[in-house]
Amino acid sequence: MYTKETLETKKVTELRAICSHKMGISGMSKKRKDILIDKIMSEQEALAKEKESQTVTNIEATFTSTLTKPSAKFGNKASTTVRVSCGASSGDFAVAGKSVGGVMEFLKEVLNVSKMSRPLVNGELVDEDYKLSPGDVLEFLKPAGSKG
Amino acid sequence: MDKQTRLSIVIIGLGGIGSILCEKISRFLNFDKRVESTLTLIDGDSFESKNLERQDFTTFGNKAESKMKELSSKFKRIRTYALNQYVDKKTVSTLIKERDIVFLAVDNHKSRMIVSDHCKTLNDVILISGGNEYVDGNAQLYVRKEGKDLTPDLCAYHPEIRTPQDKLPDEMSCEELINSEPQLYFTNLTVATIMCWLFYNAVVNSEYTKSEVYFDISTMSLDSKVRKVK
Repeated sequence: MYTKETLETKKVTELRAICSHKMGISGMSKKRKDILIDKIMSEQEALAKEKESQTVTNIEATFTSTLTKPSAKFGNKASTTVRVSCGASSGDFAVAGKSVGGVMEFLKEVLNVSKMSRPLVNGELVDEDYKLSPGDVLEFLKPAGSKG
Repeated sequence: MDKQTRLSIVIIGLGGIGSILCEKISRFLNFDKRVESTLTLIDGDSFESKNLERQDFTTFGNKAESKMKELSSKFKRIRTYALNQYVDKKTVSTLIKERDIVFLAVDNHKSRMIVSDHCKTLNDVILISGGNEYVDGNAQLYVRKEGKDLTPDLCAYHPEIRTPQDKLPDEMSCEELINSEPQLYFTNLTVATIMCWLFYNAVVNSEYTKSEVYFDISTMSLDSKVRKVK
């Protein structure tokens, strides 16, 4: 930003250079010093107002991210895992994109899933061909204990 | 729980889980000055020497009556009653009433279904049910207030309870009763403890977001579940 006092110290050729090169004002090659100064000052004010109207003062946003290996040095740290549980056993597994039936087969021994277990995704009953998305919560319902 | 709350506690089943549970619940209620409690113990079975390794009784005989004597002498502030009978479709409505807090520690799904279905006909009731296999098990919390389910009933996520393959105790033959599967004392103890957690959260803190808890002693794991009311 130039002040009026600063501009008055400059030569006409310097003011014309400011107009054409720095501020992109055309048609100033033959104007007098006082006109050049007035033009530069008015152009500065207009630019300042324009900038002010474009300034972002407040952003409201929610960012969510799940990291599987936050300390990893390489690779994509974003999660593609699904929380899978059966009874008291649970874990995060990279099975996004797979079907519930496929996951059941894959994890039946790890989580002790019985063939009778019905699958819930995010609390809702689903079919075995349901495709899992990252962040889903899959539960294979374990039968209630019968003895007492 | 407000000052001078009256609680009507019903414990159905006084086997491996129930015989431990009734003692813990009684101790809590007896020394909590905010509550006046009645405790009804229900079981048609008798305590015998074969139950010694898992069940907590000081005298032989009907489990409800035996336990009532023990608890009455220990916990004077609680009025304790004993009913020497099993729960079935005919008797359930006379045993469980509005505003009761019911602990269900039976050894068959048919009784669970009967009690859950009856509780669904009441306006205000809290039902806490537990069961186990040898090293794992679960406990469920069913809360109804002003005629609405605040948590799912026992059958909602458990088709094995909705359509039970087992029998009520009085439908079983002597041979079936003798050949019951072995159980582990520590597993019974864990179910009883988790039922106490559910009671504490639901009754004292009015917190019942997580209405089902599973555990497995062999993997030393426990997981609590949030269940949607269907």
